[in-house]
Amino acid sequence: MATMTRSTITVMLAPAVTLIGVFILVPMALTVWLSFHDWSTQTGFETARYVGLRNYQDIVGPISVGRDFKRAFVNTAIYTALSVAIILPLSVMLGLLVYQTRVRGGHLLRAVLFSTYMVPMVAVALVWSKLYSPAEGPINQMLGWVGVAPGTWLSSPDTALVSIVFLNVWQQVGYFTVLIIAGLTQIPNALYEAARIDGANPVQEFFGITLPLLRRTLLFSAVIAVINAVQVFEPVALITQGGPAGSTNVLTYHIRRVGIERAQGGLGSAMAVTLMLSLIVVVVALFAFARKGERE
Amino acid sequence: MSGTTKPFRRNNPSGFDALLMLLIVVAAVVAAFPLVWMVLSSFKTPAESMQVPPVWLPKTPSLDSYAEVAGVINAGRSFWNSAVIATVTTAGILVTSLMAGYAFAKYRFRGRDALFALLIATMFLPPIVTLIPLYRLVSYIGLNGSLFGVIVPHLANAFGIFLMRQFIAGVPDDLIDAARVDGASELRIVFSVVAPAVVPALAALTLFAFVYHWNTYLWPLTVLQGNTDDYPIVISLSRLLSYNRGAMNTHLVMAGATLAVLPPLVMFVLLQRFFVDSIVSSGVKG
Repeated sequence: MATMTRSTITVMLAPAVTLIGVFILVPMALTVWLSFHDWSTQTGFETARYVGLRNYQDIVGPISVGRDFKRAFVNTAIYTALSVAIILPLSVMLGLLVYQTRVRGGHLLRAVLFSTYMVPMVAVALVWSKLYSPAEGPINQMLGWVGVAPGTWLSSPDTALVSIVFLNVWQQVGYFTVLIIAGLTQIPNALYEAARIDGANPVQEFFGITLPLLRRTLLFSAVIAVINAVQVFEPVALITQGGPAGSTNVLTYHIRRVGIERAQGGLGSAMAVTLMLSLIVVVVALFAFARKGERE
Repeated sequence: MSGTTKPFRRNNPSGFDALLMLLIVVAAVVAAFPLVWMVLSSFKTPAESMQVPPVWLPKTPSLDSYAEVAGVINAGRSFWNSAVIATVTTAGILVTSLMAGYAFAKYRFRGRDALFALLIATMFLPPIVTLIPLYRLVSYIGLNGSLFGVIVPHLANAFGIFLMRQFIAGVPDDLIDAARVDGASELRIVFSVVAPAVVPALAALTLFAFVYHWNTYLWPLTVLQGNTDDYPIVISLSRLLSYNRGAMNTHLVMAGATLAVLPPLVMFVLLQRFFVDSIVSSGVKG
């Protein structure tokens, strides 16, 4: 480890720090600042007029601005909770299938799973909108073969959001499976050997060794899954436009619509700040939950 | 490690093996199905793709859909735009991440850990949080409505810096000191001594960055503002859906999607052996 002159350090760090500073940290600070202002996105920052907490009062208030935002917030919360609740157990199961060596095919499965993560979300949304098609789509056709009634999928307010969760899980689960495999490789084989000498069966091994030692991987996976889930945009923008009946209006879509398309920059920024604060609360809660588990 | 004691490896009855095999096959088929359906549908005729009940295999596979896609959107231009965006952004990320990763791994300076933590925190920030002011900021600099506006804000990212620091920390100091004794400048050391020592990490970062920026939709859509000449393929693709809406566009959408998926998939096939290592090393330890 060397102590370098200030100019050498500056040269090395300047490109990255300048870019991240100008294009992420400054906009972050501006988002917070704008959230206390009335500002049209089509005009310069100097036109912003200070309004205190009014934007925040509006987005939680009873008028349409507040109703739409609260709906989008709840939709995003449901979407995120469902995504995480499906992705985590599924990725553990798939991770074990890839990692086990009793039967062949693990590597092939890993390659297939991860390849779905390479598919642009735009393509995922377009292809799945056709798969879900009530009459011409193969999903309802296959359900029919096993005697299940056709689903309404993206066309009904009751099922549209869940349908988007499914396509999101399909696209993302390969990435989380690889995270789980990475966690599995860190578990010492000696632990399994010792358990086997004690006569443990595979189920006991899973709950006694594998799951507890995956805790940090699962925590990291949960944090990433939450952050990815709140970014859902393409299926909503392309297929449902927030509908039917507002059932898929989620925050990334809603904030862009308010802040960019309607140019209500102050309101949109207040929504963005609320999203960020909520994320911080969720992440802190996840860490606290994991730490509590560690102590027990 | 002989691998003889991995989970579930024991002398159980073979019924358990059959169950495992079945699960692997089912998982692989479910995962592959949408992509297989996409490719098959791109070879169908417009009438076939709208048939009820759905046709699985096209009777006379044809490439007509692909020719039609080229007529509806400027596919060649869009592909070129995506290639420019993904390649230039990836190159920028490699350079800025190598330099910053080297400084954080091998230099000692005041405030290093605080600066590193600040940069890493941006990794967890959803892009929508900064989208509104960034949109205005980029037009202040005069970059809105152009490929520069799409590319420049993403030439550095926290994940790249993090990954590079993790890997460069493992490069022996002796190697670097030897180059210094030979009179090499620090910049020269980064690119001709350190970089060759972390090729697997650079390959993994290339995969992640290229695929992410080939696929990304929100920012180009926002910054390009209807400048269709500069649209990347994912935005042009979304326009296929509004073409002939409600009528026979399925074959077009499937052909367009197949084209858009190819470059990231090829990148994945070429570089996939590096990605597991990089994920293991990026600090996700059980």
